[in-house]
Amino acid sequence: MIVVGGGHAGTEAAAAAARLGARTLLVTPDLERIGQMSCNPAIGGVAKGVVAREVDALGGVMGRATDAARIQFRMLNRSKGPAVWGPRAQCDRGLYPRAVRRVLDELPRLELFQEMVTDLMLEDGRVRGVRTRGGLAFEAAAVVVTAGTFLRGRLHVGGEAGVGAGRAGEAPSVELAEALAGLGLEVGRFKTGTPPRVDGRTVDFGRLERQDGDPEAYRFAAYAHEAIPEQRPCWITWAGEPLKRVVLDNLERSALYGGEISGRGPRYCPSIEDKVVRFPDTPRHQVFLEPEGLETSELYVNGLSTSLPAEVQVAFLRTIPGLEEARVTKLGYAIEYDYFPPHQLRHTLEVRGLRGLFFAGQINGTTGYEEAAGQGLVAGANAALQAQAREPWVLERDQAYIGVLIDDLVTRGVDEPYRLFTSRAEYRLLLRQDNAPARLGPLAREVGLLTPRQEERLEARLAEEDRVRAWFVETALKPETVRPLCERAGSSVPREPVRAVELLRRPGIAAGELGEAGGAPFARAGAGPHSGGAHDVLTTVEVEVKYEGYVAREHERARTVRHQAAFRLEEDLPYERFRTLSYEAREKLARVRPSSLAQAGRIPGVSPADLQNLMLEVRRLKKEGAAPRVSPPG
Amino acid sequence: MKTDTIAAIATALGPSGVAIVRVSGPAAGGVLRALCGEASPEPRVASLLAIRHPRDGRLLDRGLVTRFVGPDSYTGEDVVEFSCHGGYLTPRLVLEACLAAGAREAQPGEFTRRAYLNGRLDLIQAEAVVDLVEGRSPRLRQAALHQLERGLSDRVADLRGRLVGLEARLVHHIDFPDEDDQPVPIEEIAAEAEAVAAALGALARTAPEGELLREGAVTVLAGVPNAGKSSLFNALLGVERAIVTEVPGTTRDALDAVVSLDGFPFRLVDTAGLRESDDPVERIGVEVAGRWLEAADVVLLCVPARRAPSDEERRFVAERAEVPVVLVRTQADLADGVAAGGEVPGAAASVTVSAVDGRGLDELRAALPRLVFAGLVEAGSDAPVLTRARQRAAVEAAREHVCAFARALAEGVPADLAATHLRPAESELEALLGTIDREEVLDRVFADFCVGK
Ligand SMILES: Cc1cc2nc3c(=O)[nH]c(=O)nc-3n(C[C@H](O)[C@H](O)[C@H](O)COP(=O)(O)OP(=O)(O)OC[C@H]3O[C@@H](n4cnc5c(N)ncnc54)[C@H](O)[C@@H]3O)c2cc1C
Ligand SMILES: Nc1nc2c(ncn2[C@@H]2O[C@H](COP(=O)(O)OP(=O)(O)OP(=O)(O)O)[C@@H](O)[C@H]2O)c(=O)[nH]1
Ligand SMILES: [Mg+2]
Repeated sequence: MIVVGGGHAGTEAAAAAARLGARTLLVTPDLERIGQMSCNPAIGGVAKGVVAREVDALGGVMGRATDAARIQFRMLNRSKGPAVWGPRAQCDRGLYPRAVRRVLDELPRLELFQEMVTDLMLEDGRVRGVRTRGGLAFEAAAVVVTAGTFLRGRLHVGGEAGVGAGRAGEAPSVELAEALAGLGLEVGRFKTGTPPRVDGRTVDFGRLERQDGDPEAYRFAAYAHEAIPEQRPCWITWAGEPLKRVVLDNLERSALYGGEISGRGPRYCPSIEDKVVRFPDTPRHQVFLEPEGLETSELYVNGLSTSLPAEVQVAFLRTIPGLEEARVTKLGYAIEYDYFPPHQLRHTLEVRGLRGLFFAGQINGTTGYEEAAGQGLVAGANAALQAQAREPWVLERDQAYIGVLIDDLVTRGVDEPYRLFTSRAEYRLLLRQDNAPARLGPLAREVGLLTPRQEERLEARLAEEDRVRAWFVETALKPETVRPLCERAGSSVPREPVRAVELLRRPGIAAGELGEAGGAPFARAGAGPHSGGAHDVLTTVEVEVKYEGYVAREHERARTVRHQAAFRLEEDLPYERFRTLSYEAREKLARVRPSSLAQAGRIPGVSPADLQNLMLEVRRLKKEGAAPRVSPPG
Repeated sequence: MKTDTIAAIATALGPSGVAIVRVSGPAAGGVLRALCGEASPEPRVASLLAIRHPRDGRLLDRGLVTRFVGPDSYTGEDVVEFSCHGGYLTPRLVLEACLAAGAREAQPGEFTRRAYLNGRLDLIQAEAVVDLVEGRSPRLRQAALHQLERGLSDRVADLRGRLVGLEARLVHHIDFPDEDDQPVPIEEIAAEAEAVAAALGALARTAPEGELLREGAVTVLAGVPNAGKSSLFNALLGVERAIVTEVPGTTRDALDAVVSLDGFPFRLVDTAGLRESDDPVERIGVEVAGRWLEAADVVLLCVPARRAPSDEERRFVAERAEVPVVLVRTQADLADGVAAGGEVPGAAASVTVSAVDGRGLDELRAALPRLVFAGLVEAGSDAPVLTRARQRAAVEAAREHVCAFARALAEGVPADLAATHLRPAESELEALLGTIDREEVLDRVFADFCVGK
């Protein structure tokens, strides 16, 4: 099989296919830029961090590359419940792609080739391979296209007409975009933007607030142990009234507001133009200065994505405390590009009606490295499975954020660049960062997505979880041992020895401190080879014990929905004949063709009444069996 | 996407000045042309047109024809209404002509069902249509009209909106931890949750009375033989329905009839006099009376005014703490004033009446609504009322989830975990309205907060 594109979707797709044993070729125009981070060199965050860990637990590349490249780590939402912790790593822009390349090179069945793909080869409604700009043809049983922001990409700085580009300094993909549109697929247009970068040597750090990372050796990778680089701080400052004035005075010169860009951008990742216009009452906006790497002084100015002209960017930057003298190294810009509305896909990310053609990443209307990686993994795995004539493999909404993501894309479609949030998941208590290996590792093993070495590490990890759980259940702690930690938590000191698991149920008492107080073997693992693992395992056990009722309720809810999901809907149902359903529902159902009732329920415009009627109609249809139906008049 | 076109006679069959035949669906315009020719009338303007059979062109009637263009119509589809002459024949002929022109006969409620499916009405409104059309008591009519005018829907939607708002505020600080806005104080969240729970509770409390609006409050007349139950039953009905004789044990089988008091529906039940009897028929009658008493929403215990209530009658009242029992002193015209010792502890009210001269009847009529529909009387006719078990179940379930949320916050459970109680609460209210849209939480987040990168 062939993967087109070497971004975050493409690398995971290729690696997954190769791990499944498919002979895989990754074709991309510049092998030096494999795994490149187009925008902010940071992986993770709320929900996205969980996805990064899910990709890792499924055997993917992203977790290892992040560990090998991270120069600052923070656990977001640490003050909130552990169910919503979001690991986030600032990465070295150079180290990250190098690590990706290194991991890819470990896979014997994966080959890389540097070329621009310009066309697909088709035969009888199925894909046969790709053609390149240099006139080469590669045949394959399946093709995964992951062309990112490159499809008819246009880059905008200021009000002038945009120039064709896939990313700053890279050529757009025009022929391939046209070839894909020529297949009769619906095409849409989105935009996104990036902020300017500044030279750190010209920044007055004395005026900035320093933000150090968390000290712990947190790891994204569960199955491998990368050397973590030296750590660096980020810096915080604020954009206030003077900046707002500069932006407002120049608004008509922005590509976004000058009407130059027509594509829709994400609401949650607004440009500074957007922020100033939409939230005139917010007195100041937080700005993060994030290091681009260990060996560069360049800083990424997070929070100020813009398409204003160069001199305006410089002017507004200089209104910011600490940046009065700052020199710009790279200008911010906006980019608009083609995407293919994802309701045209199946849950395997295969294009409906074009067997063997898969799409993953930004091409499906998403934004973000993690979202791209998750899709890439699923598309690559399914392409390989199809090439091997095996059953498709799909993640459900209660199994992974990746399942939520893909199901949202396919059943709801997108009307702005799609990004994951915890609020999109029904079961965020189940879909945590800490339990990703236990949650997804066994699934990955079953389908064959793990290498033998990864399987071995998974076994070790699961065994460790059992050991830790057993320790809490079996260990009785003496009152004098737990007195200090009980007092600290404002909890009564027990009069008799009490099992660790009982104490863990109390608010304010953490698994780690109990382990330490009780001299548990895992409490010393901080120094061992798998500290990241021990950290997760403790969190997992803690959540399971402390919030047992909540977790159980979520499982119960998931089960109920699964039950509903078990009501399968055939792909060729004659929705147009289901007269008891509203027009809108019939139209949407006919377009999306959901595979279960649960999925049908998530399509906007399909009401509970429609669902009930749909179930009745399908039952009636089944009863009538193969007998020819007289369709109603009109 | 194709759907078919339905037609039905919308008015009652029988001699009447006017009848309406209604057609809805994509072919409504075609039906109109087939029956009335090409001169398509202005939408929403009644036009006097000849109505002809589409096959042979014979004149069926001349009537006012109004055309509505979807989605601005009752069903949300194209609709045509023929106002023709009433009676047994003409409407039927016009309907047949519509069917001949390609429509199919509508099933009961199908127009309203389409209105719901096409988003013209929500589920509560659709139910209200049924009550409006079928209900017999003025207060049910009022409640239904109020529901149809979205009174209840708005209240439910508003409460649901407040829950979505709560979730959005919690979720915002989960999904955007680094943002400019300060975290929402938990106390504020808890207070709002309590307020929503209280409002849901108030709404749920209208349900018992609201459901009675549809069914009628079961009002059982009980008492010893010859106490004057049947006479009172007839007097309240204003019709001689029940047989009245001076023979004790006249009434055997229970008789029931609905009467409207101050607009509220009461289902009066006349029963056999309560006593031990050897007569098998009478014994069964007493048994039936017992069952009615178990189902009663209010009991009128009839005791002749000339004597004091017996010990048995006092016990009867004392044993029925959960239903209001009105002590009715009957046959007041025969008595020289009311016998002493008439105070019965536990009776909800005491009224002295005469079926012969009518004294006390108005007082009794006024007392009943205040006893049974106290909440609705107090709230007035503009307050939203739950009139169906379905509605009550949803509101109560939602309230329980919100209370669980508030409790969890109070126990110090992290807000993101506690928030897992909000979704089920929202779902209950969504199901009540018949709408579900999860995206809305995000929409709210983006509308209400400055969310940046
Ligand atoms: C300006 C900008 C700002 C962004 N801001 C953010 C942000 O703040 N946060 C965030 O999470 N995400 C951001 N993103 C998005 C993020 O970069 C993408 O979502 C992510 O990289 C998508 O991954 P992908 O694999 O789909 O595509 P990409 O990473 O774009 O990779 C596409 C790959 O396909 C290759 N390719 C293209 N055409 C062809 C062809 N014809 N033949 C062969 N190979 C081809 C390219 O060379 C490239 O290797 C931004 C992107 C840009 C460009
Ligand atoms: N003067 C007078 N007579 C009444 C009044 N109410 C009832 N009576 C008489 O009392 C007798 C019994 O009345 P009913 O109404 O049949 O009494 P009941 O309680 O239904 O009796 P059973 O059906 O036998 O249990 C009849 O002769 C009535 O005419 C009243 O208000 N005034
Ligand atoms: Mg009687």
